[in-house]
Amino acid sequence: MTQLFTLLKISDGLAIQFGADGLGRMFLCLDTVMWILVGIYAFKYKEHMKHTKRFFAFYLLTYLMLAALSMAANYLTMYLCFEFMTLLSMPMVLQDGTPESIAAARKYLMYSIFGATLGLLGFFFSAHYGAGTVFTPGGLLDPAKVAGNESKLLVVAFLSIAGFSAKAGMFPLHAWLPTAHPVAPAPASAVLSGVITKAGVLCILRVMYQVYGASFLAGTWVQKALIVLSLITVFMGSMMAYGEDLLKRRLAYSTVSQVSYVLFGVFTLHPVALLGALLHVIYHSIIKDGLFLGAGAVIFTNHKEYVSQLHGMGKRMPVTFGCFTVCSLGLIGIPPFAGFLSKWYLAAGSLSEGLPVLSWLGPAVLLLSALLTAGYLLPISIHGFFPGEGEKEAEGKEAPFQMLFPMLVLALGVVVFGVFAQPLADALLRIAEAMF
Amino acid sequence: MSLVQNVPAFSILLLMLCGIVCLVLPRRAARHLADCAIALVAAASVALLVYFLQGGAAYTYSMGEIGAPFGNELRAGMLEAAVATLFSIVTLLSLMGGRAHLRSDIGRLKVNLYYISTLFLLCSMLALVYTNDIFTAYVFVEINTITACGIVMSKEDGYTLAASMRYFIMSLIGSGLFLISICILYAVTGHLLMSNIQEAVAQLYAQGEYRAPLQVAIALMGVGLSLKSALWPFSSWLPDAHSSASASSSAMLSGLVLKSFIFLMIKIFYRVIGAGIVRTHAVLDLLLVFGILGMVMGSVNALFERDIKRLLAYSSVGQIGYIFCGVGLGTPAGVAAAMVQVAVHATTKAMLFCAAGGLMDASGGSKKFRDIEGAGRRDPYAGVAFIVGTLSMIGIPFFGGFITKLSLVQAAVTVGGWRNLLSILAIIVSTILTAIYYINVLAIIFRAPETAPTKASEKLKEEWKKQVRLDTEYEVAIVLFILLNLAIGLRSDQLMQIITTGLSMFG
Amino acid sequence: MTGFGILIAILVPILGGALVPLLDFDARRAREYYVFAIVLATSVYTLSLLSSGQGSELVLYHLTSTIDITLRIDRYGSIFALLVSVLWPLATLYAFEYMSHLHKKNRFFGFFTICYGITLGVAFAGNFITMYLFYELLTLATVPLITHEGTREAKVAGVKYLVYSIAGATAAFIGMIAILTHGGSLEFAVIGLGDAATPENRRLFDLAFLFMFFGFGVKSAIWPLHGWLPTAGVAPTPVTALLHAVAVVKSGVFAIGRVVYFTYDAGYLAGSMVQKIGLAFSAFTIVYGTVMAWKEIHFKKRLAYSTVSNLSYIVFAFLLVTPSGLTAGLLHMMFHGLMKIVLFFVAGTVMHQSGRIYVTDLRGFGRAMPVSFATFTIASLALTGIPPLCGFLSKYAIAEAALAQGSPLAYAGVAALLVSAVFTAAYLLTICVRAYFPPADFEPWSLKSVKEANLYMTLPLVLLTAAIVLLGCFPGALQAFIGGVVPAAFPGL
Repeated sequence: MTQLFTLLKISDGLAIQFGADGLGRMFLCLDTVMWILVGIYAFKYKEHMKHTKRFFAFYLLTYLMLAALSMAANYLTMYLCFEFMTLLSMPMVLQDGTPESIAAARKYLMYSIFGATLGLLGFFFSAHYGAGTVFTPGGLLDPAKVAGNESKLLVVAFLSIAGFSAKAGMFPLHAWLPTAHPVAPAPASAVLSGVITKAGVLCILRVMYQVYGASFLAGTWVQKALIVLSLITVFMGSMMAYGEDLLKRRLAYSTVSQVSYVLFGVFTLHPVALLGALLHVIYHSIIKDGLFLGAGAVIFTNHKEYVSQLHGMGKRMPVTFGCFTVCSLGLIGIPPFAGFLSKWYLAAGSLSEGLPVLSWLGPAVLLLSALLTAGYLLPISIHGFFPGEGEKEAEGKEAPFQMLFPMLVLALGVVVFGVFAQPLADALLRIAEAMF
Repeated sequence: MSLVQNVPAFSILLLMLCGIVCLVLPRRAARHLADCAIALVAAASVALLVYFLQGGAAYTYSMGEIGAPFGNELRAGMLEAAVATLFSIVTLLSLMGGRAHLRSDIGRLKVNLYYISTLFLLCSMLALVYTNDIFTAYVFVEINTITACGIVMSKEDGYTLAASMRYFIMSLIGSGLFLISICILYAVTGHLLMSNIQEAVAQLYAQGEYRAPLQVAIALMGVGLSLKSALWPFSSWLPDAHSSASASSSAMLSGLVLKSFIFLMIKIFYRVIGAGIVRTHAVLDLLLVFGILGMVMGSVNALFERDIKRLLAYSSVGQIGYIFCGVGLGTPAGVAAAMVQVAVHATTKAMLFCAAGGLMDASGGSKKFRDIEGAGRRDPYAGVAFIVGTLSMIGIPFFGGFITKLSLVQAAVTVGGWRNLLSILAIIVSTILTAIYYINVLAIIFRAPETAPTKASEKLKEEWKKQVRLDTEYEVAIVLFILLNLAIGLRSDQLMQIITTGLSMFG
Repeated sequence: MTGFGILIAILVPILGGALVPLLDFDARRAREYYVFAIVLATSVYTLSLLSSGQGSELVLYHLTSTIDITLRIDRYGSIFALLVSVLWPLATLYAFEYMSHLHKKNRFFGFFTICYGITLGVAFAGNFITMYLFYELLTLATVPLITHEGTREAKVAGVKYLVYSIAGATAAFIGMIAILTHGGSLEFAVIGLGDAATPENRRLFDLAFLFMFFGFGVKSAIWPLHGWLPTAGVAPTPVTALLHAVAVVKSGVFAIGRVVYFTYDAGYLAGSMVQKIGLAFSAFTIVYGTVMAWKEIHFKKRLAYSTVSNLSYIVFAFLLVTPSGLTAGLLHMMFHGLMKIVLFFVAGTVMHQSGRIYVTDLRGFGRAMPVSFATFTIASLALTGIPPLCGFLSKYAIAEAALAQGSPLAYAGVAALLVSAVFTAAYLLTICVRAYFPPADFEPWSLKSVKEANLYMTLPLVLLTAAIVLLGCFPGALQAFIGGVVPAAFPGL
């Protein structure tokens, strides 16, 4: 962590500090690019919304907190940014003002705060048992203080990581995601799924690797439990998406599943798996944002929300569905699109990690989930372009250009980052290795 | 034999003589004579107390220098002198505080009869304090009963007559039991002088003879005197008697008469029976339990009262319970606590009854809560008196009530077992209840004019508009009462010293 | 001379307050000037005493051979006095406006001011009997304030309060006397029971501790003795805010602190059964209060239950019986006072301006009363424990103290603290959400008649909220001041 900057020193051991390292820079870049693209989209989508000034105010403030979160140099600052980010992103969920959206926003708030409180527990312990406060690769715990208290620390590690995973939508704290996404406006859903969930991932990365340290957690019941939970989520998310008709909720379950791919990679505590995770962070952001923007375009232009209403829509909205298809292929993991490489590295890392059972179970679940992903994404495109006999064809027109532009950029990104993945992978490998 | 040692006999005889003379004097002269006599007795008692404080020893005083077994004896010690002082001062202040009501309640023609009763009442109380002869004690117990009834009955209305009849009957039952007990003691020991009886009883106990009769005698003594001093559940006569009587009568009855019997009981237990034997007897436990029940039940009953004087009467039942609780604990600390409460309650309750009289005056003569609303503002002396009384009853430091609570708690925590727990619980419960009903009274009497009671009749409101006659004597009495209460609160060390030294001189 | 200064600080508000109903002001301005002058003068004087008069003592009276009425300024009392003297003038300003539509103002402000003096008496008491004197007087002086409205509800609340308080105070008194008669010292300058704590006496002293703990625990609203607090929510808001969030309830925890650190000591209590009982009850109350607050929809009763919970944070911290526990508890005592008084003031302002008393009726109020709800939001965030606001600091301090103490009950307390944080967000932040983000069908004109309160009410809110933020970011001076209590309470260290 370099270029440390102390904004406010509250007392001994409590300071609001920012700093830059590879991980933080990566997340910052990701957040910024996504925010700009979705922002362009939102300037058009806002014709569908009331209280637009309020929306954009919170849109920007959320970005501020995300940027601050990426640059947070210690646990306190990270916790502060995490909490404020929750508070500032919540109004975007209840933008429409319907009773469902208000209830969804409240659910989001409570899950996040519950998770953050578990994270706070981790902070109390890290302050008590830590040798310093700044995030340090390999962990910041003081071995002298830790000795004899490992079991307590393991419990707290599990709880705090599980707490932050609420933001990342891991079972059992995932339930807010499928509720919040359908009711939020499409731009909000896009950033929630694509970017804000990754904030949870970032916090978990910091806690696991730079507070406790990989060596402290490797091989413990904590790691195993977390891997199991992430695999459950991967499978469950895909299953639920498969059966869901409301398009945005299908995509939400997909997010639940996909982000747990990332978490799986994080929990495996192996550089290659971590590389896969970081790669998937970027890929999934691009892909999921593309998918949500597409879904939003369908709603905006043609007011259709359900998958069953989209037969033949592809013919009416060729660009939209084209981008949608490209992103779907990426998500499934078909080379050369982005998404293949991340899954490859995840599987490779897991297999070389050497945990009993889990090292092969992981890739197996990932494979199964890929099949399911195909099952819940491809039919949309297929039925969109090839409605088949006897199906009522949907009415509609193409989305306006301002909304198509970001989608095209993202779809292009899926292709480019898939084909020319090596430079990205190299950069991320350096970052991953630096975490150990 | 110094001059001051004659004070006990002198006090009793003077009061008796003045009482007789009052019979033939006109109203004003009788009043002045009574006042002077009581004041003189008070001064004399103070002199006696000073004598003891300066190191005098307790002594016995043979009446007429006729020796035992035919003669009569008085015994004086620090405690007796202190109690005598207390009784005389409170009597005087009660008379002063309630004087206005004497005029209206009793009527000009019979007022001197009232003074006779008062003088004989005080005389009998002092006799009970000083006497060393058990039969004399009985005689003066009877005189006490009769004169007490007298001061209740002198206000002639239906209530007082009914109340005093009830009082009389209950009292006589008590006296009767007391008499039986005396007969047993006389029969068993052959003596009437207290110190002699004590030796005999100790001897008999050591030899194990006449155990049963002695047990019965002690029990009857306890019950008989408890009946007369309104131990719960023998207190049913008290509310009627004390509430219907005139203000100064209520003050004297609540404040003094009950205490004189308790003091007699303590005296007999310690001087006649002997501390060691009494402590083995179940009568103490009985007194403790009933005392505790009285503490609670008295307050519970007061909670529901809507008549200020009945409320104060029930409050007395509760406060007397404290005294019995202290005695019943059986330790010297307990008896000391009881004696402190005697002093505090005497001054406080007498003050409150006089103040109640003032409130009634300011409310057109009614005692009901709905009629005395705001009376504290019309008669500020009564208002302040009630504030002081409340603070004392709750047990705020600087006031007398705090000292009694302090001593009782100190006695309770040094005793072991169930007695400890029960008395602590009783103190807590009774403090809570007392606080509630006294603060309720304060809220009522200080209610502001704009929320004037709509329940009071128009006639009464007219009465209020009349200029409340300022009665200097009453005001002085209230102020002196307050000062007495504060004196106990602020100078409790000396009081405790007097009590403990006095108790050690006692037996 | 400074010894008498303490007496002056206490007597000026008591006598000044007693004069208010006697002088019977008719004009609002006259009364306000007089009362504010008295309160402000007392505050200024007290603050000067705190800075220059540390350690001064005044033996007012030898009540008996073993009991003195003593006043003393020590660091522990100064902390409480600091809190009270800063908050009282602001609360008085607020009360002026709040009471403008209610009646019997002279009586109200009379007792309100008298309570100030009595609370200073509690803070500056030099031994337990003196504290008991002021503690009982505080109960008596606050009863008329609770029953002020005169409704049946108010009278019931007053009686309930009286019963609970007198029961508690009497139980505590019995504990005190038990200690006194068995050789312990009630002087706060004498730390610990010393030689009196022989093994034979242990059981008695344990029992006395429990009597005092639960006796003072009534005012500290420890379950199951908390029942009077939510019921007392019917009192006018200045009363609930200042007295039941600051003066009265903090007197209770203050007294418990005196019991734990100045009468008993760490040597006696650490690891003992009574410490465990105390920790267990306070940990339970933390959760109980917070859950009850979440279920309650009456605005002020919700805040009252929140107070129940937060007081037990302080008691829990004290019962850890370590230096960090003591300072953490004191920090929360200060900060909670600030935060809770803002919350109550806003609740009162809402009632004053619109008559609404239920949290479900507050849709859209964020725009109708912007200043009030802005301060409410900041105070809510602070109470939930979001850094860098002050509430985070005190929670952090308590958690660290618990972790350092390390016993199982300490961990239970940390868990309770965190559970409480989640519920606090639930019962406070949802109010903010409702106020700022009303549903789509909400009509703004329905709140046209609701206006922001005037300066009397908003100025205290703004000042206190500024303090919440500033003390959260720059707590150094305050923490140093509080830290000064450790040498006195732990003489061996």
